[in-house]
Amino acid sequence: MAWFLARRLGAIPLMALGVITILFLIFKMVPGDEATLAAGATSTQAEIEAMRARLGLDRSLLEQYVRHVLGLLQGDFGYSSSFRGNPLNPILDRVGATLLLMASAIATTVLVGVPAGIVAGASQGRWPDRLLSSVVIALLAVPNFWLGLMMIAVLSVEWRLLPSFGADSWAALVIPTLALSARLIALVARLTRGLVIEEMRKAYVRTARAKGLRGPAILTRHVLRNVMIPVVTVIGLQAGYLLGGSVVVERLCAWPGIGDLLLGGVGVRDYTLIQAITLFFVFGFLLINLLVEILYRLINPKLRHA
Amino acid sequence: MDRRDFFLAGAGAAAGLAARPDIRALAQQATGTLTFGGSTPVLTLDPGFGAFTAYPGGYEASLVLYDRLIDFDNDMKFIPGLATSWQLAPDMQSITLRLRQGVQFHDDTPFNAAAVRFNIERMMDRQRNPTNRPLWDPVSAVESPDAETVIIRTRAPYAQLPNTLAHGSGAMVSPAAVARHGERGIAQNPIGTGPYAMENFTPGQILNLRAMENHWSGRPGAQRMVFRYIAEAATRISALRTGAVDVIDGVPAPLAEPLTRDANIQVIRRFGLRPIGLAINLTRPALQDVRVRRAMNLAVPVETIAARAFFGFARASDSPLAFDTPGHVAAGTPSFDQARARALLAEAGYRPGQGGTLEREGRPLRVAISVPDGLFPSDVQVAEIVVASFRQVGIDATINRVERAAYFDMLRQDRANMAWDLAMFGFNPSNASGLYHLESLFRSNGDDAGRPDVWNIGRYRNPQVDAALARANTDPSPERQNAALAEAQRLIWEDAPYVWLQVNENISAVRRGVQGVAVWPIVFTALRNARV
Repeated sequence: MAWFLARRLGAIPLMALGVITILFLIFKMVPGDEATLAAGATSTQAEIEAMRARLGLDRSLLEQYVRHVLGLLQGDFGYSSSFRGNPLNPILDRVGATLLLMASAIATTVLVGVPAGIVAGASQGRWPDRLLSSVVIALLAVPNFWLGLMMIAVLSVEWRLLPSFGADSWAALVIPTLALSARLIALVARLTRGLVIEEMRKAYVRTARAKGLRGPAILTRHVLRNVMIPVVTVIGLQAGYLLGGSVVVERLCAWPGIGDLLLGGVGVRDYTLIQAITLFFVFGFLLINLLVEILYRLINPKLRHA
Repeated sequence: MDRRDFFLAGAGAAAGLAARPDIRALAQQATGTLTFGGSTPVLTLDPGFGAFTAYPGGYEASLVLYDRLIDFDNDMKFIPGLATSWQLAPDMQSITLRLRQGVQFHDDTPFNAAAVRFNIERMMDRQRNPTNRPLWDPVSAVESPDAETVIIRTRAPYAQLPNTLAHGSGAMVSPAAVARHGERGIAQNPIGTGPYAMENFTPGQILNLRAMENHWSGRPGAQRMVFRYIAEAATRISALRTGAVDVIDGVPAPLAEPLTRDANIQVIRRFGLRPIGLAINLTRPALQDVRVRRAMNLAVPVETIAARAFFGFARASDSPLAFDTPGHVAAGTPSFDQARARALLAEAGYRPGQGGTLEREGRPLRVAISVPDGLFPSDVQVAEIVVASFRQVGIDATINRVERAAYFDMLRQDRANMAWDLAMFGFNPSNASGLYHLESLFRSNGDDAGRPDVWNIGRYRNPQVDAALARANTDPSPERQNAALAEAQRLIWEDAPYVWLQVNENISAVRRGVQGVAVWPIVFTALRNARV
């Protein structure tokens, strides 16, 4: 385990540099001159050139790159035109809201998706299975923004049960959480159902039955343990994609996270801000993958000494 | 930690998160609070260093936090602000203002002539105020002969000086606050003399204001005011329907019509000052023929576009200026007559060639229309209608969609790099001056080969228009100013340097029971006189 961790952690700086480099090059290629954008649409050529010099855009690409990387090491993400300074502070202000939304979505997935899958799998072919399977297909087919819109229209506007936007109360977490996690809940329920059905056919289950154990006991004590390993892996891998979904859901629900901030940056063409948030997203994705690998080793003893 | 511990810890954390939501803590309105769900965030609140952002949210907040020397009423007419009266000198090179007495900034420092000088000089300084330069460049000096009087001088006759002072960038900031928070700190710590003062501010999310009970204009109509950023139009509308916010702006035309039928909601609509049109590149030989340009105008069903593409929340243009711009006259009639368009093109020497495209001396009449994606209302859809209409009269047209970020830069290239034949454009004169609008778009450039001076991107050049605009800027008589503006509008309309399209309405909505909210033609939703 220690050796594994050391190897993985050792690779992180290298991956980070790769990510930073690729993003730097991509953002150098986007259309629109940074200096012109920063100086304003009706600025004179002289003002644009002054801005270019101020932002260091008149230097060679290599020099800009080195300055960019050195700046990042000191927490300097550059000059965001909309916040008139380092975009790190607005990002840090909001990153908590995004993490909370993701944690809530993952928790909901585990609490709803796994039990639903077990119930469906244990009652294969009977009505609970049919009902749950139909719901799963519906949730997989529905895009998250539509689901969010419908929940706002019904739960907030019609029934006045929940706030329609913002993050003023815990209740405001419900709609964005459900919109964000619906797809993942369906995926996990479907996977769990399949695994339960498969495990129930295995010899150890028959042995357990033969020695007189009842159904629920077999499920929780024996089957569930074997089912959880692939389920946790899938949740972990899919969690990365929640980051992408959070952009849409945060905007729809005016949830003050970095996904909403990202779209705001796109609206005002604040490339520095967009680049910084993209960096956060990519690192978030890498970090989640690392965590999943660690968890995987924790719950699967076979891999611990591999 | 073994597997069991891990699962238990995870389940515990998840249950903790899921169990907390407090369903009763719905967004309840404290009485006397007016909440504005804005389509743009409030990021900075300094008239200098790039001005209030984002647009228009920052300006809307500035209009309640700050006072200006001269204010606009809802029809963009001048009314007293921190100046109780003002007088332009007969030579139009200075303005003398009498200041309101006994006014204090929110930090309890006095507002006086010294504060005015500080603010005007700050706006004159290109380093501290890099934006809104066309408004402030004409100002040459500011003097305060006594504590109640300020004289502002300009380098040349400048009829728009009151417009500049009434513009958002004319906001009076507390000099003491600038000294305390620094030139750049005022953006997050706005201290003005307005009817509402800042309580706390999270840029990009929420701005909380409290009423100044003793404001010189009387007691404000709400005890508290909150600016919240809700980017998505459908979400803003839901928030208004649930009563979580009292006012919203930026209602898209397709969503506005259903709102007008909601008994609990009042839709407020107002024509903007930004006419949308297609600028014509007058350096292209084929487009230098005025008959071709008029034919293009006749070919497009502008009234249908206003009625159908914008659900009636727009009107076809009848002048280079928008309907509500001070000085606007109906310079012509929007007309759709493809038979006349064809006749004009035939008169210009065009005959049908291959595939039905008109040609002259073997050259087909082909135009490339540059359009940004999402800068102007339904821009691409409108351009598609124009292309179809052009083809109906034999003009071959193609659309060139340009990335928003690169669009304005592309329009302001020097003559050698003009990559477009027609380009969609709209200008909003933020100081509500028709003269400023016409000067920015239609006054001859100093050098047509270089970059355009302001926004005369098509290289339009008419000495009669230049003369009329000069008269409007120097004549002290408002009647003669307006007559000169009217003449300029008619000349420009006849020359057709644009395919004139439509003026869109700005649409906001308020909850029934909220009074006094107005939409200004210069885009802003004005909350200063709102009452809850």
